[in-house]
Amino acid sequence: MPVVRIPTPLRPHAGGLDRIETEGATVGEVLDGVSTQHPALRERLFDGAELRRFVNVYVNNEDIRYLEDLATPVKAGDEVSIIPAVAGG
Amino acid sequence: MSAESLERYSRQIRFPQLGEDGQRALLNSRVTLCGCGALGTVLANHLARAGVGKIRVIDRDFIETHNLQRQILFDEQDVADNLPKAEAAARKMRAINSTIEVEPVVTDLDHTNILDLVGDADLILDGTDNFETRYLINDAAVKLGKPWVYGGVIGSEGQTMTIIPGKTPCLRCLIEDAPPPGMTPTCETAGVLGPAVAVIASFEAIEAIKLLSGKLEALNDHLIMVDVWDWSFRQLKVANLLGKVDCPCCKHRKFEWLEGELGSHTTTLCGRNAVQVAARRPEPLDFPEMARRLGSLGDVRHNAFMLRFSTEGYEFTVFPDGRAIIKGTNDIARARTLYAQFVGS
Repeated sequence: MPVVRIPTPLRPHAGGLDRIETEGATVGEVLDGVSTQHPALRERLFDGAELRRFVNVYVNNEDIRYLEDLATPVKAGDEVSIIPAVAGG
Repeated sequence: MSAESLERYSRQIRFPQLGEDGQRALLNSRVTLCGCGALGTVLANHLARAGVGKIRVIDRDFIETHNLQRQILFDEQDVADNLPKAEAAARKMRAINSTIEVEPVVTDLDHTNILDLVGDADLILDGTDNFETRYLINDAAVKLGKPWVYGGVIGSEGQTMTIIPGKTPCLRCLIEDAPPPGMTPTCETAGVLGPAVAVIASFEAIEAIKLLSGKLEALNDHLIMVDVWDWSFRQLKVANLLGKVDCPCCKHRKFEWLEGELGSHTTTLCGRNAVQVAARRPEPLDFPEMARRLGSLGDVRHNAFMLRFSTEGYEFTVFPDGRAIIKGTNDIARARTLYAQFVGS
């Protein structure tokens, strides 16, 4: 199964987990899966069916906007990372 | 280079990738540092010690006790003296290195003043704590074709990216829109560790040293993400986003923040139960006169940089340019009313 890496700011919305394994053949299916397991995540990640414009998603080390966005295929062992906008400083 | 400079900077001149030529370039360069809080003080410290010749430090805020945990240039005396951050930082930087020029600017960076404040700089550095100002910096940098380095930190985690307009993606390629208030944690709500900020600011500083000394081949072309708590360090590919993203800023040269279409002047200071009211005045406020007028409210203190008083449960900090930070409310309309009532309309 692909693994989703949850960044620190989103962990409170994901039961404190830093990684979640979930079924799915595309990035969209995988993120839908984690949002179903942890409904509070859905609002942080999605605006309707679209990803929020301040959330970036990488498969391994590549931005999905350069691949096929939410339709980007994923396989077992792939790492899907949610990259939040970090404002502080 | 003078004998004094050769001695002062000898340990970094001996670092072969920098050398005497690199040091000379640093001494002849000019940086605008936007924001002088946690990231900004670490950056200011590194730049002053490394001998960046001219450093302009911009910050809108004053120093509070809860800043001292991570804002490395400030101390308890600065809090007691009610010093603005830019002024206190400049005093420390001059004490560290009297041979460089430091110019403190106590103001809110906005679309009316940013081009003047960054126009003469070789490089812009991000020491800010909000996306509104970062997008404004990004617009100005892309418009003027100036490099800048983005950094952001929360908790134990931070990010940094070096932006060279035309050569790398810009901040709006990376993050298309600012998160709305409340959607992402701030240092006030989620906390922040001093060492995490120091790591990210130090990465920004090393990029500054490379850029200003002309060692462009050594620059970072990734989005760097570090978490100092779980020891993760990641380099994410971003170079291929340039041109791929339909960026309003660097692709269409639509500078929405710079043109004032986006962004606001009167803003809540996130998580601080405070509102900044920006009402810039042509003439500086007359603090002694204001202190007399407000004297019946109780203790009114002022120095050359700010005037502070409390009334009805609100604390007002007023700056000479008319700007004020009103603590005790998150309500912008209420803050504007209070401002008109006590500072003047």
